[in-house]
Amino acid sequence: MKTSGSLENIRKFRADVEQCMKCGFCGYFCPVYRESRMEKGLARGKNQLIKATLTGEQGLTRGFYEAIDNCLLCKTCVQYCPAKTRIDRAVTAARADYAADAGLPLAKSLVLRFVLPNRRLFGAALRFASWFQHVLPGSGGRFRHLPHFLAALGAGRTIPEIAPRFLRSLLPENNPAPGPARRRVAFFPGCAAEFVFPETAAMLVRTLNGLGCDVVLDRRQGCCGAAAYFSGDFETGRRLARKNVSALEGYDSIVTGCATCGAGLREYAVYLAGDAAEKRRLEAFASRVADFSEFVVMLLSENAGGLQLNPGFEGRKATWHDPCHLSRHQEIREQPRKILKAVAGLEFVEMPGADRCCGLGGSFSITHFEASKRIADLKAESIAASGANLVVTACPGCIIQLRDAISRRRMKVEVAHIGELFSVKGAARADNPG
Amino acid sequence: MAFSEIIDSLVRIAGRENVLTEDEDRRVYSYDATSQWKAMPDAVVFPANTGQVEGIVRLADAKGVPLTPRGGGTNVSGGSVPIRGGIALVMTKMNRILSVEPENLSARVEAGAVLMDLQGALAARKLIFPPDPQSFLGATLGGIIAENAGGPVCVKYGVTKQYILGIKAVIPAAGRAVEFGGVTVKNVVGYDLVSLITGSEGTLGVITEAVLRLMPLPAARKTLLALFDDLPKAGEAVGMVFDSGTVPAKIELLDNWVIRSINRTAGMKLPENAAAMLMFELDGRPEAVESDAAKVMRVCMAAGATGTTAAGNDAEALSWWRARSAGFAAVFSAAPTVLAEDVTVPRSRMPEFIRKVTGICKTMGLEVTVIGHAGDGNLHPSVLTDQKNAAHFEKAKIAVDRIVEAAIEFGGVLSGEHGIGLEKMKFMRRTQDPFFIEAMKQIKKTFDPRGIMNPGKIWED
Repeated sequence: MKTSGSLENIRKFRADVEQCMKCGFCGYFCPVYRESRMEKGLARGKNQLIKATLTGEQGLTRGFYEAIDNCLLCKTCVQYCPAKTRIDRAVTAARADYAADAGLPLAKSLVLRFVLPNRRLFGAALRFASWFQHVLPGSGGRFRHLPHFLAALGAGRTIPEIAPRFLRSLLPENNPAPGPARRRVAFFPGCAAEFVFPETAAMLVRTLNGLGCDVVLDRRQGCCGAAAYFSGDFETGRRLARKNVSALEGYDSIVTGCATCGAGLREYAVYLAGDAAEKRRLEAFASRVADFSEFVVMLLSENAGGLQLNPGFEGRKATWHDPCHLSRHQEIREQPRKILKAVAGLEFVEMPGADRCCGLGGSFSITHFEASKRIADLKAESIAASGANLVVTACPGCIIQLRDAISRRRMKVEVAHIGELFSVKGAARADNPG
Repeated sequence: MAFSEIIDSLVRIAGRENVLTEDEDRRVYSYDATSQWKAMPDAVVFPANTGQVEGIVRLADAKGVPLTPRGGGTNVSGGSVPIRGGIALVMTKMNRILSVEPENLSARVEAGAVLMDLQGALAARKLIFPPDPQSFLGATLGGIIAENAGGPVCVKYGVTKQYILGIKAVIPAAGRAVEFGGVTVKNVVGYDLVSLITGSEGTLGVITEAVLRLMPLPAARKTLLALFDDLPKAGEAVGMVFDSGTVPAKIELLDNWVIRSINRTAGMKLPENAAAMLMFELDGRPEAVESDAAKVMRVCMAAGATGTTAAGNDAEALSWWRARSAGFAAVFSAAPTVLAEDVTVPRSRMPEFIRKVTGICKTMGLEVTVIGHAGDGNLHPSVLTDQKNAAHFEKAKIAVDRIVEAAIEFGGVLSGEHGIGLEKMKFMRRTQDPFFIEAMKQIKKTFDPRGIMNPGKIWED
């Protein structure tokens, strides 16, 4: 058996690892297990394997990696675990120990297997890669930190075009409120908003402007690093965390429209702190991070203004998809619903299983393509059952996955980011400026 | 024959992707939901249909390889742990609900269907499969039948065996699948082998399909709480409720340990010093439920309850039941090792028995929680200990022995709903008539002459 490395992170999360009492209730909730019906894919199975590394029974083997890699980190098991076991932490820690011990084969093979063979994607990837090299000093041209949406490229997916102009060329660094400002906030677009959905990001910025915020797109910020450190690459995660924290910790609020970035920024403190002082610094940073919906609801409660529906969405029947990174990673469920219910002209309906994972899970969608697609199909069925013709969410990854699932089934349903839906009453229209 | 040839044969039967032999794949089938039993199988196989199960059983029988059937692995008896190695036969991929027949109040399912999925499908047609083992989120029907599982509603509705009309099982002696029972409620054709296979813990054959008896979903439900300053007093109240002519669907007993746990985890504001709480669920027609609820509250107060309260609506009731589940679950993670018993005593002896249990543990200086399905006398006295602390663990095991002996002495049984498996095997010889054990052995020989089916369970060789 292969020797187990230092197990530094698994040891650090020992309490979480040992919390599981093996009841197996996670079987009903784990989207991966519900597809495979094999215990190695189940939260309990992963947890038991991780626990067995601590007694030396289980090495950091390839088979071990397969188990911990086969997880969406959707936290559905955590939500319902009677023992409140935080399996996501055990899995993330195990990934980090495996990566430190054996290296991550994943991202490199992604690029080699899926992106490079496709000429069109290759061109896009090159554009990405050049940008990443620019913002990630020291990454040495390797693609270990490629974020989720790039991982979704290829593999026969319907994916959005790479935007002709990136967000940086659409908006200046300083975006002042039209009138007197009540707040100055940093906007954290994240990679997907930068490159794939810059127009959406621009609308979010305009909405924040309309609600009385001076919005800064601080040029020093980079990729949030979630894709890297959720996959176990804590080294890259740490580098990005330090970069973003030093760039943004001076702002009272750091607002993002990306559920994954929000979770990624908030969870730096859980995984990446080198010592107690850094942990406090990362926790303080996390307390300043806000999701767009969360922040907007807070502003509205201060009578910052009102929202009006953009005319294109008038009369639509809308349903909300809870991104795992928003609902379970950040406990944000009510705020977006509040907004959707309050805006006149939109009919809101709940879909069954609104908080069920869409199955993207970042690189999971590439490495476990078939399972990812089947999980997405279940989501598409929920959407169809709701009768909605508009699915609203707040995660670029989910948007990519939902659009793909919907188009595969030829459903007449649009998927939109919540920030695209409305503008601020009385403020400058938050139209697409590009 | 080398084991590798057996693997090759399994691959030919079930397909390469359904036969697992790597360390990690075997390790995750080495345990169930108990804290102490562990043994790795040599191979894991996932059959897709009864035909494949027949092939696997014939192979194992011909080669004398132990075969341990397994569903969701949520059992708490060690029953699905492959203690003699061999093949773990995992039924989870055979999980279809084959038919639901409202006019017959019946459904046909594959063994690997999960109870909660079945209940979801039935609820849409206003039907219910009454037995409610609390592992319903992961437990499969095959496992539920093999363990003759029960849960809270068994007070009123009985256990699994009352709801199994027919079973299709692959029997080694037959070398094929055999249909037992049928689809009708009345069926007295010969010996009741459906009941025999129900609760046989995978030792007679492999259940692949079952015909279930259903009930209409009750029109109304109501949940009540009653608090007591004395644990045995709560036990007395249970008897008085039945004596008053009311049969609640559920009567659950929570002790002070669980009450405090619920306050912490579910944010309930129960009195921290309450010694015990009873949770009732009444179901039926709305008018009957209302009048029964009033009666139960009156009876509890007469029995010395310090207070009673009713859930205001279904959502509140659901949150209470979730809290109860979480509270029970918390017991099982309250210490590194928890010896959770499953003894069942006649309802009338329950107060005495509770006194006895707390007395035994107090004298021995052990922490114990007494929770359970008070309505049917099925209690789970759980002794908190740590397997790694040899002296303490030995003491805890002695306490458990005494608890079990007390239960038998009070006219009770060793296991109410969990089954014997490995966990309770050592008590069998002491507590059962030798003829009973011998008869079981002979029956097993008839079904499974080479002893391949889940060997090493129920009785000690």
